[in-house]
Amino acid sequence: MALRTVTRKLGNKFFPLLSSTSHLHSHATSFGFKEVKEEEKAAMVGNVFSNVASNYDLMNDLMSAGLHRLWKDRLVSKLNPFPGMKHLDVAGGTGDVAFRILERINRVKQRGIQRDFEDILEAETKIYVCDINPNMLNVGKQRALQKDGSLVWVEGNAESLGFQNDSMDGYTIAFGIRNVTHIEKVLSEAHRVLKRGGRFLCLELSHVGIPVFKELYDLYSFSVIPSMGEMVAGDRESYQYLVESIRRFPTQEKFASMIADAGFQKVEYENLVGGVVAVHSGVKI
Amino acid sequence: MYRTAAKRLFSAATHSYHGNLHRLRLRPPHSQIFIPYRSFSTSEDQPFPIPQSPVHPETPLVPDSAPSSSPSPSPDEDPRTRGDKYQDEKSRVLHASLTHVIKLGWTEAALISGAKDVGLSPSIVGSLPRKEAALVEFFMDDCLQKLIDRIDSDESLKTLTPSECISKLIRIRLEMQAPYISTWPQALSIQAQPVNVPTSFKQRAMLVDEIWHAAGDNASDIDWYAKRTVLAGIYSTTEIYMLTDTSPDFRDTWAFLDARVKDAFDLKKTIQEAQHLAEAVSAGLGNTFQGFMGKVLRR
Repeated sequence: MALRTVTRKLGNKFFPLLSSTSHLHSHATSFGFKEVKEEEKAAMVGNVFSNVASNYDLMNDLMSAGLHRLWKDRLVSKLNPFPGMKHLDVAGGTGDVAFRILERINRVKQRGIQRDFEDILEAETKIYVCDINPNMLNVGKQRALQKDGSLVWVEGNAESLGFQNDSMDGYTIAFGIRNVTHIEKVLSEAHRVLKRGGRFLCLELSHVGIPVFKELYDLYSFSVIPSMGEMVAGDRESYQYLVESIRRFPTQEKFASMIADAGFQKVEYENLVGGVVAVHSGVKI
Repeated sequence: MYRTAAKRLFSAATHSYHGNLHRLRLRPPHSQIFIPYRSFSTSEDQPFPIPQSPVHPETPLVPDSAPSSSPSPSPDEDPRTRGDKYQDEKSRVLHASLTHVIKLGWTEAALISGAKDVGLSPSIVGSLPRKEAALVEFFMDDCLQKLIDRIDSDESLKTLTPSECISKLIRIRLEMQAPYISTWPQALSIQAQPVNVPTSFKQRAMLVDEIWHAAGDNASDIDWYAKRTVLAGIYSTTEIYMLTDTSPDFRDTWAFLDARVKDAFDLKKTIQEAQHLAEAVSAGLGNTFQGFMGKVLRR
């Protein structure tokens, strides 16, 4: 068992690009820098998020110095939501992205479009927030100020969504795809539920290539963040998992090719803060 | 030289004008340090790469060749054909949106209506880089293509004098804009936005080049620039005049156009006469000066 783990690790080091399946398999069995059984990964990730749920938003603000708000704003502006849209936000537990989308749609409505646009407004805007972890969803539900019918909170697994084919105009996943066991399943599910013309957007912590900045970022990630987690949330392990899982995630280009393999077109990515965060997008045609 | 490039571009029957695709691997590595923002795209615009025209090396209308990091083709589908599908759908959406422009203007609302007409989710509008500008540019490309077709099919143009030919061609082109004249000021303001200026400038340059080419121009010296500039001026002023013209069938605009073309050709003659005069005067002065210096030195 130990030998198998060692050879797999060495194999990954020597032949990192040999086959995409080996890389994906490594993601499916990696829990940060630890190796775990595929079946166990989901439960372990679940534990992490149950632990962090109550302090999630506060920790986000501290770790990113408030920048995560700008990143989510950028994601939503790229999405370009419109009134009457059916949108699915996956792994969106505490509702950050969903609230922003709703806000933006209401702003557009208020600006007073020409009367001919009214027939488009008749279709009701619906934003589904899906998360595998009920604790995260509860935090989000509490944050939702009005009992607005536009937001629907759904507990579900990104790898097998309970939505019909061709039912969504947009699909976003913000800081969630890193935690799933099988990335390609999530991508193909996204492709399935989107309508033709629908867009897939993914906001995720990614790889930095800039020489000096990379070292500083690594230092910050491995020294500051777990300590912060310990002090604020009382949970060093979860935040250690967080920074390790970022390193194990595929690079921007690799991830873009995975999105294209799932059937999306016009696959693009945009690096924010030199690659600390990347927004990947694709269109289903 | 624009004409051959234009022919090859349009022969694939798709309109492509990716003005702002950043070509990642053509940037030197050290520039990444100063650029906090980078884009990458796997969409291919054309099934085959088109070499750039030597005169204008930065035509955004010339699409990128297939980037080497595009995903390995799955057995059933070549990624290049998949990239074309997006372009086709995009053209269909833009084409359908044009019908809504008269009521809704050159806006996102028109684009959303167009997407719905074609049967696609309006989310696709979000994937257009500069939304309303994409619609305007599509329209300009479409009109240019129609003009080229008209030039190719109409033999009578060859029998006209250059000034008459130019007049007629500008008239044909502006008549294509006539149905949208109520919203055209908005389109002009979109084209004038700094982010859109490079593309709109290129489109107008192609248009002007096309018209001169049809009028039988073969100049290749400094005249080439002068001629295109003058024609661009005539075209722009006529276009703007047309915005406030309320006469039936734009009669006043065509009269204005004829007057401007005549002025331009007169101007050409005037400049030539002025050149001759200047040469004569300087020759005369030169002689006088020589005579004077001769007298001075002989003393």
